[in-house]
Amino acid sequence: MTQPPNGFDPNDPIGTWRAWRDASLEAWAKSLTAMVNTETFSQAIGAQLDALLAISGPVQQAVQQYMERYLAQAQLPSRNEVVTLAERLTNIEFRLDDMQAQLDELTDLVRKLAVAQTPTAVDVGVIDERLRGIEEQLTALAAVRPSGRTRKATTEDKE
Amino acid sequence: MTSSDAAPIDLERMTEQLLKEIERTTKSSDMAARIATNRIRVAVGQTPKEQIWALNKMRLYHYYPQVPPEQRKPVPILLVFALINRPYIFDLRPGNSFVEFLLQHGYEVYLLDWGRPGLEDAHYDFEDYSLKFLPRAIRAMQRHSGKREFSMLGWCIGATIVTIYAAMRPDDGLRNLILLTAPLDFSDKEGSTFSRWLNTEYYNVDELVRQFGNVPAAVIEYGNKMLKPVENYIGTYLKLWDNLDNPAVVEAWLAMNTWVTDNVDFPGAAFRQWVVEFFRENRLMENRLMMEGRVVDVANIRANLLNVIADKDHIVPNCQSRSIMDRVGSKDKKLIELKGGHIGIMVGSGASKRAWPLMEAWLSERST
Repeated sequence: MTQPPNGFDPNDPIGTWRAWRDASLEAWAKSLTAMVNTETFSQAIGAQLDALLAISGPVQQAVQQYMERYLAQAQLPSRNEVVTLAERLTNIEFRLDDMQAQLDELTDLVRKLAVAQTPTAVDVGVIDERLRGIEEQLTALAAVRPSGRTRKATTEDKE
Repeated sequence: MTSSDAAPIDLERMTEQLLKEIERTTKSSDMAARIATNRIRVAVGQTPKEQIWALNKMRLYHYYPQVPPEQRKPVPILLVFALINRPYIFDLRPGNSFVEFLLQHGYEVYLLDWGRPGLEDAHYDFEDYSLKFLPRAIRAMQRHSGKREFSMLGWCIGATIVTIYAAMRPDDGLRNLILLTAPLDFSDKEGSTFSRWLNTEYYNVDELVRQFGNVPAAVIEYGNKMLKPVENYIGTYLKLWDNLDNPAVVEAWLAMNTWVTDNVDFPGAAFRQWVVEFFRENRLMENRLMMEGRVVDVANIRANLLNVIADKDHIVPNCQSRSIMDRVGSKDKKLIELKGGHIGIMVGSGASKRAWPLMEAWLSERST
């Protein structure tokens, strides 16, 4: 079957309805998006917020006062007291976190110092080489000492 | 259209189409009922991870590497999302997860979750989040990874927070900074719908914060959805209805809807500062934002900078993100404009083909 012109297919009423629906929504979306971006709508948003706050303010205050009285009578902590406690706990957490960081830094430093004081294989090799050099020099000295003594004795004898 | 162009009426085909639609609707009704009664759920944030640090409501997660040690990049990356939504958008679903993508490319990935603020957190503002909490999370990450240098990616308000951090702590090891749809410059008061709403004297932010402490998530969600009311209140559900017989589309829709409706209260002091000092007074870009007794000067940013913006972003229009390029002190800086919306650039169907590889390629060159 050939494709109907302009995408309209009289034999597919659902598809046609869907296309109409999408086109209508797109038009609505464009006009409403433009509408919310106006000064008038900004005022309306502000008015909505004011209305919400005008209702919630007195309600919140009344509930808070009632709850505080009720909780005090029941010897239970109020919301403000719980919030204060939570703030104190958070402060303690901060201090603990900082102490943990300082402890980590100290541990690192101690490790570095310990590593610096422990002779490494390279250090041992260098020491070994220097000792070998000293040994060689001593051996060489030992080899020349008897003839020196002989020479000295001879000189002393002559004197 | 002339009558000769019109397709002939074919009753048999018309009946066939109607039957097909009835069959589809019958199948879809079952799925619709399951969704409406919450009998179908999609798991989100599934990539295996461990919690390595916690402070107050904040959590820092480390994702388990997915490649052998010799293939891993030496510079870890920290992901920071906004205060008003959950950060698992970075790891939405297996196969559609930026975290998973980074892990497969050898990155050590860390994710900061700000948590859900309680009333005791209502006094925290951007200075607290940028210079008190974030540096502690970074310290924990540096400790865990054993690396001083790191990369950081901030998205939406998370990008504002990391920008402040980068400007105030330029010597603390930040090597690469990625900003995603970052709201920073509010000089264009006509540039966004939010600017119009919040810049007026009609919006009583002080009373809102005084009464509620933290701004309720429902208020934030309402504001976000009203930017595009038809799309958010009608279009998205029609899209679901049209695809109820397609399990893959339903699953993707549910995952996204789970995230979209999982909002977080905006801490009161931070919200007030956001409206007054950022939106109304544009203090950050005018060098008038004071923190720790100093001006937050973005010229102090020296980290390599990648600024990613979305061409169809109706929440953070491009004018709010672009101008930082001329102001930062970074020698290595790049601006990328991608096709998509505020969230769509990172989780849409094209994200794994466009945004993720682009960011990874930029980061890879600077993570050696």
